[in-house]
Amino acid sequence: MLSYTARRILVMIPTLIAISIIIFIIIQLPPGDYLETYINELKSQGEQVDPARIEYLKEIYGLDKPIHEQYLVWVWGLLQGDLGYSFEFELPVSEVVGDRLWLSMVLSTSTIIFTWIMAFPIGIYSAVRQYSAGDYALTFLGFLGLATPNFLLALVLMYLANVYFGVSIGGLMDERFIDQPWSLAKVGSVLEHLIVPVIVIGTAGTASLIRTLRANLLDELQKQYVVTGRAKGLSPGKLLLKYPLRIALNPFVADIGNILPRIISGAVLVSVVMNLPTTGPMLLRALQSQDMYLAGSFLMFLSLLVVIGTFLSDLGLAALDPRIRLEGRAEK
Amino acid sequence: MTRPDPRKLAPLATAALAFAGLILGSPAATRASEEPPLLAERVAAGELPPMAERLPETPFVDPLDRPGMTPGRYGGVLRLLMGGTRDVRQMVVYGYARLVGYRPDLSLAPDILRTIEVEDDRVFTMHLRPGHRWSDGAPFTSEDFRYWWEEVANNDKLFPAGPPVVLRAHGELPKVEYPDATTVRYTWPKPNPTFLDELAKARPLYIYAPSHYLKQYHANHNDAKTLDAKVAEAGVRNWAALHIRQGHLYKNRNPDLPSLQPWVNTTHPPSDRFIFKRNPFFHRADRDGRQLPYIDKVVVTIADKGLIPAKTGAGDSDLQARYLRFDNYTFLKDAEKSKDFEVRLWSSAVGSRVTLYPNLNVADPVLRELFRDVRFRRALSLGINRDEINQAVYFGLGHAGNNTLLSSSPLFDQSYLERWANYDLEAASALLDELGLTERDSQGTRLLSDGRPLELIVESAGIATEESDVLELIRDSWGQIGIKLFTKPLQREVFVNRVFAGETQIAVSKGLDNGIATADMSPTEFVPITQDHLQWPKWGQHYETRGRSGQAPDLPAGRKLMELYTAWYDARDTAARTKVWKQILEIHADQVFTLGTVSAIPQPVVVNKRLHNLPKEGVYSWYPGSFFGTYHLDHAWLEPKDGAAQ
Repeated sequence: MLSYTARRILVMIPTLIAISIIIFIIIQLPPGDYLETYINELKSQGEQVDPARIEYLKEIYGLDKPIHEQYLVWVWGLLQGDLGYSFEFELPVSEVVGDRLWLSMVLSTSTIIFTWIMAFPIGIYSAVRQYSAGDYALTFLGFLGLATPNFLLALVLMYLANVYFGVSIGGLMDERFIDQPWSLAKVGSVLEHLIVPVIVIGTAGTASLIRTLRANLLDELQKQYVVTGRAKGLSPGKLLLKYPLRIALNPFVADIGNILPRIISGAVLVSVVMNLPTTGPMLLRALQSQDMYLAGSFLMFLSLLVVIGTFLSDLGLAALDPRIRLEGRAEK
Repeated sequence: MTRPDPRKLAPLATAALAFAGLILGSPAATRASEEPPLLAERVAAGELPPMAERLPETPFVDPLDRPGMTPGRYGGVLRLLMGGTRDVRQMVVYGYARLVGYRPDLSLAPDILRTIEVEDDRVFTMHLRPGHRWSDGAPFTSEDFRYWWEEVANNDKLFPAGPPVVLRAHGELPKVEYPDATTVRYTWPKPNPTFLDELAKARPLYIYAPSHYLKQYHANHNDAKTLDAKVAEAGVRNWAALHIRQGHLYKNRNPDLPSLQPWVNTTHPPSDRFIFKRNPFFHRADRDGRQLPYIDKVVVTIADKGLIPAKTGAGDSDLQARYLRFDNYTFLKDAEKSKDFEVRLWSSAVGSRVTLYPNLNVADPVLRELFRDVRFRRALSLGINRDEINQAVYFGLGHAGNNTLLSSSPLFDQSYLERWANYDLEAASALLDELGLTERDSQGTRLLSDGRPLELIVESAGIATEESDVLELIRDSWGQIGIKLFTKPLQREVFVNRVFAGETQIAVSKGLDNGIATADMSPTEFVPITQDHLQWPKWGQHYETRGRSGQAPDLPAGRKLMELYTAWYDARDTAARTKVWKQILEIHADQVFTLGTVSAIPQPVVVNKRLHNLPKEGVYSWYPGSFFGTYHLDHAWLEPKDGAAQ
């Protein structure tokens, strides 16, 4: 197990190097660079820019250097913990990300909790009471949740929340609380504004989680050991929760690798539509404007989380399910 | 217009009053002792001097002379919505404190300057207002001009290519002198007729900088060690980058940077809400001698561009036109009933909203030959049913016609708008037949001389559905004269690069930015001087690069335009410039370089009902209007909400 862990950690290094190269290349792929994009945007609004000035700005931003040199500068900075400089904000990347990072975490964590609270009871119920009226009704709702485009639901709910409850459109708090110190009223405002995004982002996730849980549980419930247990007179609650549910959880543990980055930058589309001050819209904007160090460092951070998440879920699975541990050894 | 205009007399009388008030301490002066609520405490505590000392000795006196204008009350918060952190600079546009500025009637008048003397458009002597101060209280003097010219514009680290190119008149830089603390003189060997215009633009030419603040970032005033420490702390490349970042008066990001604008940013980015507070040393006062602006704070909230119409409709903005489009009008008008704002329709200064640009420098030799033939361009123009577009897309509220100056411009002529712009398929077909495009394929599309069908690809960078709606209508009518139209949406960078390279056949974009030009404004949008002009990118590039790349204008009309451009700069008075302008416009009407559709599309402006002193009707334009800038937002004021304490 120890050598397995060490090997997994060592493999991460070349993986991350490969990812960093791919990220950098992809960011550079669209034609032009940050300045060209910026200048075209200015020109489209009627502003004039002095060509001699552009050359100079290129030099200041280091955009006149060859790509491999820009890459090395960036990676060298990353190794020292320097995420680089955002052209658009004219600030170090770490300062730009700042507040957004943990507002994203609040939003995503609440969404995940919401999803689980909704999905687990419903999933278990519809597996145990398969083909009952309740199962059909909940399945119908679940599919509805899967099929509704998030952004549309976001717009509709946002409008209704504004018209009927007077919640301001967009954002994660009332405008007057932005940049203010934290207070009870501010927390209240954040909670009020969290409801719609959590429901919107949560619906699709809840629906798919219900389906997965139901299918997994149904598989398990038909197995021999369940029948044996029931024959031996185990209580129905214990019979359900002790073994079948635990095994049905495997896919969720395997999913941790995906959940980690999602906590940081989940639901970009909904965040853009709802104007949430999270990292998703910032990343999108950085990619559009080719703000390469902001986009690059942020993607790199997300990749790191994926890699770590995958590692954790592998370890978790091995711990949770002896079969995986044993198979791993048998292969050797 | 024979009756005497009372507005012309008013400023004189009020100026005299204000003057008397200052000298004798008349009632006007007692009113001036009323401090704005935001500053009253600091004045009482002695942190700030009283209003009379904060104003320059001779402030800019706002006559409040538009009909319906009243002296305002102090206080209140004006809420605005913007589409990104970058838009914070719009506050410099809206604030519109300029050395000289445009009035709404497009005449130029001193603003920050007390007076300016101009000799032959060559010698500009600027007199500052004695006692004028930056927003941090430091004096604003000719030293700030000297610092900019000698230590910024002529510093090879800050401006490696030399001072801004607009300061070169016929290639020569000015001689700059500072006879005393309130006088600055720019002298050119040859006339520079656009100098004042540059100073008055929405994005102005800054020829001054807050020297007392910026010296701390300048190599001339610091030893290398302290400066390096500051550079390292900011995480930028060198001191020049730091100086540029900290000293950008237009970008307006740095809350520590002293300003001359009516409201000064107080929020450090990144943020989604920028708070602008009144500049306690602002140089304008109303006719009673009370310092402007009336409104204490402006709060700029950053929201997604697509969400701004919805947020405006929910009453989240007190003054909004940016990111509102004409197609939001019905929604906003509906929301008007339940919210406390009204929707006004201002006119826009953009020429034709959707304009097609046949590329005279297109790489395809057969098409290039066609595009260069004026008969072909005229045929294309005659094949557009502009009235139908106006009715179908703009509810008939625009003016169908060419992409030329609007009727509110003094240079306007009906024939510029209408020539070759009527819908006449027969005449268009006849012109195409005359060009030898008589062969047709089985679908009725005409064949080019090399046998290819006449299929034109119109490329666009817009995401607005408006463009595709208009193109759809044009496709129908062009189809009837045997021309097939295809559209191709592109990302903006790809779009411009394809145009520059001559790969684009026809580009579609908005028309003239400034459709209300006067004879004293340079005809830059009508002559091939930049590659940004989509109809002749290579000609423009040739001029821009002084002949190093691109291609010299090789059509007689193009050469003539360049001659006229030079002639405009050589013209000595408005009459001579008008003559040049008329010739240029005549060439454009005759040559149909661009295909306009519908112009004068109204711009919805949402205004809080409690916001006063803003005109019911106005022109919303980037240049020359600076959006709300020329209407001077500093004299707008907010009525308190019902029941709120005065």
